[in-house]
Amino acid sequence: MTDNKTSKEQKYDRQLRLWGDHGQEALENAHVCLINATATGTEILKNLVLPGIGVFTLVDGHKVSGEDVGNNFFLTSSSIGKNRAQAATELLQELNSDVSGNFVEESPDKLLDNSPEFFHRFSLVIGVQLPESTYLRLGSVLWEAGVPFLICRTYGLIGYMRLIVKEHTVVESHPDNALEDLRLDQPFTELKHHVESHDLDNMEKKDHSHTPWIIVVAKYLEKWYSEHNSQLPKNYKEKEAFRQLIREGILTNENGTPEDEENFEEAIKNVNTALNPTKVPSATEDIFNAEQCENITSQSPSFWLIAHGVRDFVRNEGNGKLPVRGTIPDMIADSDKFIKLQNVYRDKAMKDAAVVSKHVEALLQSVGKPPESTSEQEIKLFCKNAAFLRVVRCRSLAEEYSVDTFNKDEITSCMYSTDSEMVLYLMLRSVDRFYQQHSRYPGVYNYQVEEDINKLKLCVNSLLQEYSLNVNVKDDYIHEFCRYGAAEPHMVAAFLGGSAAQEAIKIITHQFVPFNNTFLYNAMSQTSATFQL
Amino acid sequence: MAQLVGPLRKELADSLSSCRVLVVGAGGIGCELLKNLVLTGFKNIEVIDLDTIDVSNLNRQFLFQKKHVGKSKAQVAKESVLRFCPSANITAYHDSIMNPDYNVEFFRNFQLVMNALDNRAARNHVNRMCLAADIPLIESGTAGYLGQVTVIKKGQTECYECQPKPTQKTFPGCTIRNTPSEPIHCIVWAKYLFNQLFGEEDADQEVSPDTADPEVAWNPADAAARATASNKDGDIKRVSTKEWARSTGYDPVKLFNKLFKDDIMYLLTMDKLWKKRKAPLPLDWTEIHQLGVFGYIENYVETLRSQLIEKGEGAELVWDKDDPPAMDFVTAAANLRMNVFSMNMKSRFDVKSMAGNIIPAIATTNAVIAGLIVLEALKTLNSDFDQCRTVNLQCCSFHVGVIGLVQILTLAVFAFDCLRNVFPVIGPSVQVSMKTTSVSNNNKFLSDFGIRNGSRLQADDFLQDYTLLVNLIHSEELEKDVEFEVVGDAPDKAPVSSVPEEGKNIANGNKDSAQPSTSSKAAEDDDVLIVDSDEEPSSSTMETSLESSNRKRKHHDADTDDAASKRKRLDQQPADDDEDIIALD
Repeated sequence: MTDNKTSKEQKYDRQLRLWGDHGQEALENAHVCLINATATGTEILKNLVLPGIGVFTLVDGHKVSGEDVGNNFFLTSSSIGKNRAQAATELLQELNSDVSGNFVEESPDKLLDNSPEFFHRFSLVIGVQLPESTYLRLGSVLWEAGVPFLICRTYGLIGYMRLIVKEHTVVESHPDNALEDLRLDQPFTELKHHVESHDLDNMEKKDHSHTPWIIVVAKYLEKWYSEHNSQLPKNYKEKEAFRQLIREGILTNENGTPEDEENFEEAIKNVNTALNPTKVPSATEDIFNAEQCENITSQSPSFWLIAHGVRDFVRNEGNGKLPVRGTIPDMIADSDKFIKLQNVYRDKAMKDAAVVSKHVEALLQSVGKPPESTSEQEIKLFCKNAAFLRVVRCRSLAEEYSVDTFNKDEITSCMYSTDSEMVLYLMLRSVDRFYQQHSRYPGVYNYQVEEDINKLKLCVNSLLQEYSLNVNVKDDYIHEFCRYGAAEPHMVAAFLGGSAAQEAIKIITHQFVPFNNTFLYNAMSQTSATFQL
Repeated sequence: MAQLVGPLRKELADSLSSCRVLVVGAGGIGCELLKNLVLTGFKNIEVIDLDTIDVSNLNRQFLFQKKHVGKSKAQVAKESVLRFCPSANITAYHDSIMNPDYNVEFFRNFQLVMNALDNRAARNHVNRMCLAADIPLIESGTAGYLGQVTVIKKGQTECYECQPKPTQKTFPGCTIRNTPSEPIHCIVWAKYLFNQLFGEEDADQEVSPDTADPEVAWNPADAAARATASNKDGDIKRVSTKEWARSTGYDPVKLFNKLFKDDIMYLLTMDKLWKKRKAPLPLDWTEIHQLGVFGYIENYVETLRSQLIEKGEGAELVWDKDDPPAMDFVTAAANLRMNVFSMNMKSRFDVKSMAGNIIPAIATTNAVIAGLIVLEALKTLNSDFDQCRTVNLQCCSFHVGVIGLVQILTLAVFAFDCLRNVFPVIGPSVQVSMKTTSVSNNNKFLSDFGIRNGSRLQADDFLQDYTLLVNLIHSEELEKDVEFEVVGDAPDKAPVSSVPEEGKNIANGNKDSAQPSTSSKAAEDDDVLIVDSDEEPSSSTMETSLESSNRKRKHHDADTDDAASKRKRLDQQPADDDEDIIALD
């Protein structure tokens, strides 16, 4: 068992550094369904099997064709004529012995006819190269069941993804440039005391130049307050004056030249961000005000339970502030002083989290759930990330497709520029319409390309008419889409396979923020865009 | 093939099956790329990689499986691809692309080169080779969720080296040896220790206290006294660490006592160091061992010692972050030292991250990037450089390469026949090393200066404010009696040069040039520097700083003791010949 653990640690070392042990655990507990083992499908699955997803189930009613072998790495000519789900599963399985793979030799339509609840069991369903009628049906089944659904499509040199998830909560959003949570503008009691225990004016030189900059800023802030009516330096001019105040505090040698005190330099450099007023970010505020946070029931997911607990903290003990995050950046200081300061923040964070725990416990009790339904660990992680919480809510396919609820404004405003990626979306909708009418995609046979152009044009127009869209779709795009002949070039499939798998990992691990809700990629111009449709 | 119908024009589709491409690297991007290439219709592919397969590759390098661990990446990648796509024609090389066998002629065999590398030295090298051979190059890289792809085509785009890259952080020796203040200092020290004990000994990787620390202002008399006072192991200072360790039979207690007790006590005697710092605390073996918190360093030492013995006499171990005993040893040693210097301990996971400069790597990013590479490849083969996502700027090296045999090409030939006659350099003077001037160096071969295949030389002509970067490519296959061959055209006069600012600050050459100068004066006015000699990535870190310090020195020369030194040279040799090169190795 331990052997297995270390060998996994070794194998997954390079990714554990991105999503951690708990992210990996989430992956290993996931069961993903992938429909259609086309090139795009197997590329996505490859990128999920390699990092060690728990279980996958491949659903595909097709037989392997020569065309498949031509663009799909996980199908070989010896598998021609076999069921595609089975053939691909065998080869994908080889990639990682820790992953277990199943296959179902059935088309999704059949499964939807006979037992739609088949799809309820999955952590995520990924539908690849599905006809419109199938993904609309499947979409409504999964929407009802609350199973996240990712639609992926490679159409010539165009890539398309659509994510449909009612509500996806993220605790660890891993923001790129997060500000530190230092509370210098509103120091908590323990921090105040700790700052008071330092006397910069009566310190040995060695201590003076090894006092963490946070304390230096706090000290000079006191001085500043006494001269400025207890107001923080707000604008550039005031901040500059505050920096000067700190600069004047640098010790000088017997000749009057300033000593080299790097901690003071750091303090000056950090003035701008360190004095950022402490407040609850609007995204977190929105979460507190959400209905799901308001009305906790025994069915409420732990995210909302804890969110409620944190809200209670903010409104009571926290005096309008989130629990202290408890981490400080690296800085110039002697180890002893640094660790002491670090502990001040860490202890306060633990204390705050404990208070949140109490609130959560009371909440659990009120809805008749045992207190151990949320773990200490979970609450701590939540508190630490309280400023970065995210909730992604996608619109359903039904909303996107209904003439009453579709996002007309987004489409119309994007289409002011005729080369917006939005045109690709309209074209995909049009080729689906073409398929509905002709039971094939335009341009799949070279000899038909010319006549298909006109037919596709009719589809574009009828789509625009149906939705009363007064926009211009350039003929170039109609020609281009006919030329594609619904082909699935491998390099586009590879690109989309990487992107889709990454979104799947975000959904499964609840780390990082997935796109919302439509992604379009143009391989010709190397551009991409996301839209809320 | 079905996938070619539609999206690709027929001529392009046909050209795929006839063209030859080179993939440099069969790792994360390389595996994906090979697959994409064969499935897009590329038929003739050569792949080169000097690496072997490691367990930590398996989370993304899908052409490899557990049973392949330890085997050649290029070879296994080839076999795996052929298993799925038997019709492809793939050649695999288990070798370094920097090996001179892969000369300009080799590169000219291809219509396109694609980099899938993980280090800058090799990237620089392939960049220069492709510029010299005038073969388009697609450069790429990934780090965690981030990735990039760019097309480099001589005369049309920027090259890989146009934009200065951030350098890897290095630490001064005395910080590592005497006054570590951050965990990374202790980790670097522990890695040095590994090499001192088990690997290749390197004088720049000393681990014992540094008595030459400028902060100490050493008094030699005190030093001697202190040395005898604290030096219980008598001879350890005189023999190498490895020899000493071997003589003790890698006795873990003796090792421990020297490294974490005696050496630390010695450091304490350098009291100046601890006036402004917290002094280190020597450790006691029995106490520490009872705690057991640092892992059992003696076990790691023992494992490594037996590995060393197994390899036979004179063998060396190579530190590898993915080799558990080596990693365990470094973790334990680093943590012990962190404890000595009152730092908080780091987990093995974190130590590994820092010691191995680990860049997170995942399948998804590589998949995306490899897909993009092929799309750029198609545009490149189609000569749609305008459509490529790349920067179309004047290139830093002006696409100049000189091909010659470094062991045959002399400095004189290079400076006069090549620089002066082929390029618009008026007064070639070449600076050699810090002190030398050298006259006699004239007939020295380029190889004597450490100039090798792929070295980049910078010629500054202060007479005209002209800077030329020359990529030197070593070749054994020049025609008879041809000493060198120049690839690419130098501009008549340099436009905006992309060399570091210092280049412009040294303006005295310019001022001098106001009057027609004597030959000796002219000779002083430009120099050739080796700006990069393609060592390990770490060596390139010194590039900028060394360069600037040398330049400063030169400035100084020209200003002050110029006259004296010049006279001396004139005495020895005709003025024309005074030349030197600064070798920045």
